[in-house]
Amino acid sequence: MKVVPSKSSEWMRPVASQKPAFAIIEIDRVSQVFQTSARKDHLALSDISLTIEEGAFVSILGPSGCGKSTLLYIVGGFVSPTSGAAKMKGRAIMGPGPDRGPVFQEFALFPWKTVLGNVMYGPRQQGVRATEAEAQSRALIEMVGLKGYENFYPKELSGGMKQRVALARTLAYHPEVLLMDEPFGALDAHTRTRLQNDLLNIWERDRKTVLFVTHSVDEAVFLSDKVVMMSKSPGRIREVIDIDLPRPRLRNELLLDPRYQKYVVDIERMFDESDAAGAPS
Amino acid sequence: MIAPATIVRRAAPVLACIGLLTAWQLASLGLKNDSFPTALEAVRAIPDILGDKESLINILASLRRMAIGFGIAVLVSIPLGLLMGRSRAVASFFNPLLMVIYPVPKAALMPIIMLWLGVGEATKILVIFLGVSLPVIYHSFEGAKAVEEKMLWSGAAMGLSPWQRLVRIVLPAALPEILTGCRTGLVLALITMITSEMIARQSGAGNILFNALDMGQYDTVYAMIIIVGAMGICLDAIFERVRAGLVRWSEPQFDMPLSFS
Repeated sequence: MKVVPSKSSEWMRPVASQKPAFAIIEIDRVSQVFQTSARKDHLALSDISLTIEEGAFVSILGPSGCGKSTLLYIVGGFVSPTSGAAKMKGRAIMGPGPDRGPVFQEFALFPWKTVLGNVMYGPRQQGVRATEAEAQSRALIEMVGLKGYENFYPKELSGGMKQRVALARTLAYHPEVLLMDEPFGALDAHTRTRLQNDLLNIWERDRKTVLFVTHSVDEAVFLSDKVVMMSKSPGRIREVIDIDLPRPRLRNELLLDPRYQKYVVDIERMFDESDAAGAPS
Repeated sequence: MIAPATIVRRAAPVLACIGLLTAWQLASLGLKNDSFPTALEAVRAIPDILGDKESLINILASLRRMAIGFGIAVLVSIPLGLLMGRSRAVASFFNPLLMVIYPVPKAALMPIIMLWLGVGEATKILVIFLGVSLPVIYHSFEGAKAVEEKMLWSGAAMGLSPWQRLVRIVLPAALPEILTGCRTGLVLALITMITSEMIARQSGAGNILFNALDMGQYDTVYAMIIIVGAMGICLDAIFERVRAGLVRWSEPQFDMPLSFS
């Protein structure tokens, strides 16, 4: 069954862009083995190759345990692959760097810093003057909808607000690529929807490259230009699907759009088929 | 207008003290033992001690060496504990050493230390240092180990070097746990300070206590116990103030009077 033609090699952003697609991230035959016990090795990722074009919103979609987060950590430079290599702008990724900004499901805010302190942290580290960093950070805090909460500590915020701070904190040091690791996974359905909408609105402003890990099919389809479907044990790329839906996307229009519905249904069916073929999840 | 609950909360520690002193008074009156003065006699002896210049100098000397021992211990133990918490190699090196030292009563080492360093300040400060170090190392270690990996990754992505992450992320993130260790360390500093002065008797609060005991001045003995106890409570209360101020960002709101501050 093949519903959506996968033309990942000559893939371009659906919204016309002037410059030709430039491969900002290249993942070349990456495998990752974890030692689960003294005798047993677990192959988390097997021979993954993937190219991500600049300015694209790409989701990595897969069941839990398929290694999709590990793949993101490899691009972030937090984990080194057992074999293969990941490149950013043609240069091998040797470690974390401010060109790739992570946003984690666990928020990972600095609890001893206020909202403003958290957002200012990156720019200050990059050597931006305090007054300038503060002005930029305040603007970002307003952009993510947290004006008035500048002096709150993370423990005083709800999960959704914490994730907004985490997003602002990462955007503050201007990474070229956003690495989002199931960022809305810990949030309730309502908050999740609102953050998806807000993320798209923010993304529309400068169209940074985003690598977004999720296990939610409709989240992936709603947000992305391209969905990378993974299967588990070992983690492999199963399918790369271009999501050819107009932007800017409005939730209330998109949910009624038959094309959107078809993407969601088709992708879910593909998952069901792979489940039926393999072990029950 | 103060709420009744607040009055109860404020009065509770006072009531507890009065209750203890009353029980003491009754026990002493009942036993009629010369070496067990009544609470009133002991309390009456306190102004005599605190009014005596010699005694005051001794008590201040005690506090001074306690502060030095505690200070050095904290300055050494926090970095060591943090390094152990973040580096498996450092932890494997120091853990066995600490396991050996941990159960040894530090005062039991005093005779040996006295042979090296004499009965002066250095010996006592070293014993206090040993007493304070272990809980501070242990809590710094646990605190550093518990720091969320993703927090360190976030810092690394911002360009923080490993050392910067240790000082600017691990240290503040572990601070609540570190300060719990320091609070235990402070009480242990007081205990080892008195113990060291009992063994190497030369000056200090412990020396006053034992001199009084030798001379059979039991009211002074008990008065000194009260003074030492009060010092402990005051130091702890001051420390708790400082601690609460430093880690307000991590404190849950609680409703139980868990401290005297």
